[in-house]
Amino acid sequence: MRDLPDLFAPYEEAAQPRVPIEGYPNTVRRNPSRAPFARPYTRTELTGPLDLSAALQPGDDNLAVAGPGRAALGQLIRVSGRVLDEDARPVAGAIVELWQANAAGRYAHVIDTRDAPLDPNFLGNGRTRTDADGTYAFFTIKPGAYPVPDSGRWWRPPHIHFSVIGPGSLSRLVTQMYFPGDPLNGIDRLWLSVPDAGARGRLVARAVPPVEVEGEWLGYAHDLVLRGRHATPGVA
Amino acid sequence: MTRLSPLPPVHPKRQAAGGPQGGSGSNALLTPTAWHTIGPFFPVGFSEGLADLTTAGTRGMPIRLTGRVLQEGGGPCVNAVLEIWQADAGGRFAHPRDPGWREADPAFRGWGRAATDAEGRFTFRTVMPGGYEDPAGTRAPHVNLAIIGSGIMRRLVTTVFFPGFPEANARDPVLGCVPEGLRGLLVAREEEAGRFGIDVVLRGDEGVETPFFVD
Repeated sequence: MRDLPDLFAPYEEAAQPRVPIEGYPNTVRRNPSRAPFARPYTRTELTGPLDLSAALQPGDDNLAVAGPGRAALGQLIRVSGRVLDEDARPVAGAIVELWQANAAGRYAHVIDTRDAPLDPNFLGNGRTRTDADGTYAFFTIKPGAYPVPDSGRWWRPPHIHFSVIGPGSLSRLVTQMYFPGDPLNGIDRLWLSVPDAGARGRLVARAVPPVEVEGEWLGYAHDLVLRGRHATPGVA
Repeated sequence: MTRLSPLPPVHPKRQAAGGPQGGSGSNALLTPTAWHTIGPFFPVGFSEGLADLTTAGTRGMPIRLTGRVLQEGGGPCVNAVLEIWQADAGGRFAHPRDPGWREADPAFRGWGRAATDAEGRFTFRTVMPGGYEDPAGTRAPHVNLAIIGSGIMRRLVTTVFFPGFPEANARDPVLGCVPEGLRGLLVAREEEAGRFGIDVVLRGDEGVETPFFVD
């Protein structure tokens, strides 16, 4: 039987974002005014979809090439890491979805109407599944920064969106990965919405030294931690 | 944080909490990664073809679960993404944490995703879930619903119940966590045979805003 987490503690609030966020009115309009109600975790919460690979097909892990001779413009990068639980155990078989802007900071999405070029060779989304060691990897290009409309000159730093579906409905994660050393990181209102500096820092990928990279791309390492522990450590 | 270390990323030990929320998580090795919003540009294709949880062989009564996601002021919440998870018609989950998981319906996925349209509307095709006995109490038929969207920095979670089970609803250990006067907001309306409607009001007046649960 798969080794599944069965212990779910409350989130550490300081390590999670706080709203509202200035210049982002949807963090008010879509944020409940009433505090959420505590509830017991029953079987519905403790279970979750274990194998969605038929519905959410993995194997789309190269965003940088749209087809033969159709390389996307931008700095070729490989983003890889492990999906772990709170006991630092690898989460095998997790679905990892990723989406991002192109090198000019524009999304290939109908509602991104900003005046920056689209790249016909870059759609900017992909999906893969972690292996037995919890490892995922994507080839893509480094996304560009872009200004947030009507926000008083707030620019989003280059970032990659992640959506991870783990082995229980409580081990869901949607987050964003930042790039180390970008001057926009420290003034980004989303990044700053996480109060705990350590938790903020863990949203920033690690640049892999080029001597450790086996090809002509830049490497970034980024681990993701899903909720969930094991009530009986060491027992599968 | 050392960002250029040749070593793998290090996740420092969680601070020993010790406070009222210390509990089982206080000595965990790692802290869950911080949530962020999906933003406005969640790929459309990520939500396509996932709103039907059934196949031709699925057991139980087919239903549609439909409704609107509304934001402050009553306007539609466009491009929100809803994810549901529910038991099959026999009250089983295809997951080893369910003691009866071997009897779960192999032709039922249990999980679905749908995006809201320009009116904030969504529709799932599924089956009426079965209730079940849980250590916390007897669960009434229900569907767990999570909402992610632009400006929603952490997913919002709630549970939808059905009008045909007033006694089971009255005993449900999760619905019982909501003040009595608000419970009706979590019970879908049967708009026609087999079609159940529920509006998810993300922010609104006290008698209108959807009750959400701690994730």
